[in-house]
Amino acid sequence: MAIRVAIVGTGFMAGVHAEAWRQTPVQVVAFVARDWDQEAGAMAAKHQARLVTRLEEVLPDADVVDICTPTHLHADFTLRAAVAGKHVICEKPLALTVEEGRRMIRACRTHGVRLLVGHVLRFFPEYRAARDLVARGEVGRPAVLRLSRCAFQPRKADNWFIDPARSGGMMLDLMVHDFDFARWVAGDVVRVFARSTRDAAPQGGLDHALAILTHRDGAISHVEGSWAFPPPTFRTRFEIAGTEGLIVFDSPSAAAIVTYLHRQNGGERVEVPLPRSPLLESPYAIQLRTFTHALTGGDDPPVTAVDALAAVQIATAAIESSQRGTAIELTPPADES
Amino acid sequence: MTRLGILSVAHLHAEGYVHNIRAIPGVELVGIADDDFARGRQFAAQFGLRLFDRYEALLEQRLDGAVICAENTRHRPLVELAAGAGAHVLCEKPLATTLPDAEAAIAACRRAEVELMVAFPMRFSAPLLEVKRVLDDGSLGRIYCCNGTNQGQNPHRHRAWFVNRALAGGGALSDHTVHLVDVMRWFFGSEVSEVYAQVNEIMPSGGDVESAGLVSLRFENGSFATIDCSWSRPASYPTWGGLTLEVIGERGVISSDAFRQIFTIYPERSPGVRWDHWGSDSNQAMIEEFVAAIREHRPPRVTGWDGYRAVEVVAAAYESARRGQPVRIAAHP
Repeated sequence: MAIRVAIVGTGFMAGVHAEAWRQTPVQVVAFVARDWDQEAGAMAAKHQARLVTRLEEVLPDADVVDICTPTHLHADFTLRAAVAGKHVICEKPLALTVEEGRRMIRACRTHGVRLLVGHVLRFFPEYRAARDLVARGEVGRPAVLRLSRCAFQPRKADNWFIDPARSGGMMLDLMVHDFDFARWVAGDVVRVFARSTRDAAPQGGLDHALAILTHRDGAISHVEGSWAFPPPTFRTRFEIAGTEGLIVFDSPSAAAIVTYLHRQNGGERVEVPLPRSPLLESPYAIQLRTFTHALTGGDDPPVTAVDALAAVQIATAAIESSQRGTAIELTPPADES
Repeated sequence: MTRLGILSVAHLHAEGYVHNIRAIPGVELVGIADDDFARGRQFAAQFGLRLFDRYEALLEQRLDGAVICAENTRHRPLVELAAGAGAHVLCEKPLATTLPDAEAAIAACRRAEVELMVAFPMRFSAPLLEVKRVLDDGSLGRIYCCNGTNQGQNPHRHRAWFVNRALAGGGALSDHTVHLVDVMRWFFGSEVSEVYAQVNEIMPSGGDVESAGLVSLRFENGSFATIDCSWSRPASYPTWGGLTLEVIGERGVISSDAFRQIFTIYPERSPGVRWDHWGSDSNQAMIEEFVAAIREHRPPRVTGWDGYRAVEVVAAAYESARRGQPVRIAAHP
């Protein structure tokens, strides 16, 4: 029998996941909406799924709960799914705080369900291949990394992204990708220092942050995150320099297609930045296929819940560093499984 | 005729300066001197220059200006010597490796009433001058922060003293931080008030210095910046390195690459791809400014004080790297 999934949320990321699930044998049986509205109805209709307003209504019919809500709701839905014995797929970042993340991990362990976190960057071929090159020794021992993710500020009707109480802010929502990647490539992070326009110039309302990570073995990482660019910019970059060489990636230089169109009606309005490069299978589909494989007795996915927790720890330390103006020392979370 | 001499050719830039000086009408390159006589002899022969056996002998030639390209820790005595002989001074960066040495160099020039210029060619970079113009005309609005890189190949391959702490004063951090500190001070019109830095020597430096560094700065006007000063360009990189700067402001972002004006060359035979720069030569403009300041009896556009402020940031960066916390720089009166 096909795995049945209930998607919590009917927003942008719920739509991305629903599209990706279509490329797997998994059946989306329902969407859990905050309330009945036209957009939610349209999404459910498009994917031929039920629309409910309480998770518990669909739990009897679902094997997996896929949480695509704003971050502040991740913990509550995870705990409710776990209690009901359902596996959890949760969008990144895992949680708003390390403590909340730990609670989620503990609950899933207690109830014997999996907690798979959507650190989709690990499924982007450029990031995955670069990490594989490093793992194969192509650059030797990593010494200094530069990771950058520059986009425009999300602009939704109910713009929870820019509300730190719901998203954790740009450093948690956006930079968490690169914090995780830095750790994946160069190992645990023991010290974080960051400065952000949020704290340096709050009246400007812009989000741009520059962080310096120190890894346990001495490697250092420069991480840049931004919502200060004009739409529709989404530029990602990285370089990994080590004892034997250097890998450089720059998304504008790797653009496979560039169009030069005379604009009509001001062009398409993009609400939430998402990187795009033409691929035969989207990174989201690869991610959900890998998660499905893990849920049906296959290998563990390349990102564990503890990895996701470590990324939250680095991001929240960066936020704290920027607010306090000091470097923050970290004790990386251990895998307690 | 404006008479110039080069005091020590330890720094690689001395080669370029010879061409720069010779390209200026009415300037005579009188000769060079070097305490490493073999190095001086080879350099003089290569460029057809008169070699003096002592610095004093070169300075006795009534030089209008002395260009100092010694190892970093040897700048101070040569600045003092040149100033004492009444020559205006252009000193290779960094001005010094310690604050007392930087102060002494400035004081010597003040006493002798000669100008002291520090070699910060990025002040004369055409792309960066254009960025400065955009920042000044206000099209970016208020400036919030800056992301800079000045990465390079390990200079050890060309000059061994760069990785010898006793001669260089440090590694990548002292070698590559000062250019961007100076550019940012110039762009922001504000001084650095706090410095955080982390360094490592995972990539072998070939000596006893750090080969990688990341620096975070806060400025008195509330803006902030980072600088990547790492020697993280491998031997196979198509050029020596580069300098990039992205400025984030109220109304958007301006991204600049001071050495982007290049050809990519793919040779059939030689080992690798090469980038050749075709943009304007900022060193040429810098040397011309030194000569113009001498002729017009005025201070140059980059002074010893600019050199001092950069040295101060590097000293704070080393202290921060040791302590693992940001270090404040006191405001100067």
